[in-house]
Amino acid sequence: MKDAVRIQQEDFSQDEEIRALRASSKRIGGIATFLGCARDFSEEREVTQLSFEAYGSMALVEMSRLRDEAIARFGLLDARIVHRIGTIEAGGQIVFIAAAAEHRGPAFDGCRWLIDELKQRVPIWKKEVSPQGDSWVTPHP
Amino acid sequence: MISVLLFGPVADRAGIATLQFECRPSLTLQQLRDELAASYPQAFEIVCFTAVNGEQARDPQTSLRDGDEVAFMAKFSGG
Repeated sequence: MKDAVRIQQEDFSQDEEIRALRASSKRIGGIATFLGCARDFSEEREVTQLSFEAYGSMALVEMSRLRDEAIARFGLLDARIVHRIGTIEAGGQIVFIAAAAEHRGPAFDGCRWLIDELKQRVPIWKKEVSPQGDSWVTPHP
Repeated sequence: MISVLLFGPVADRAGIATLQFECRPSLTLQQLRDELAASYPQAFEIVCFTAVNGEQARDPQTSLRDGDEVAFMAKFSGG
């Protein structure tokens, strides 16, 4: 089975991730998921591709910490985080987060917290490629 | 030597992603940053986070040792 926390170039399967999560416990009553996708439009211009670069070793450690923290903080039964790097065409999948709990509340809360914290804490950078040129994304506060 | 890592927008502005910096006794993170910022001012304008050996380093007075890996990073934009 693939690791619960991964950074990879290749695409992922949501079904496969959810199957792995469900196999971890029969006590799961709900799974909340977040799928980040590559938009084809940003800041009033067309975007054809996104390109992601990571400080790989640190990013993986930080994502594993986030998973551990979310499990402890929200009482999750399990969680998975997959983030792609490299070039992703518009419309492609970027990041997948799944949080499993006995009830929906902690699953939703844990999933939301994980993606919010990932954006703040994990050293990954996004570049938008457009016909007008490439530009690194500057996050909004 | 200290391995300096730059990523994404910082590396683009500096025109370089990795470089080796001669370590000297009692070198601090702040001193390393100041010296590199003098060489790559545009890149260091957007540096928000620093990591030493993969851990965020918030104290600029952190002492550096031979063999350390130091990353200077812009605000993250993953997800």
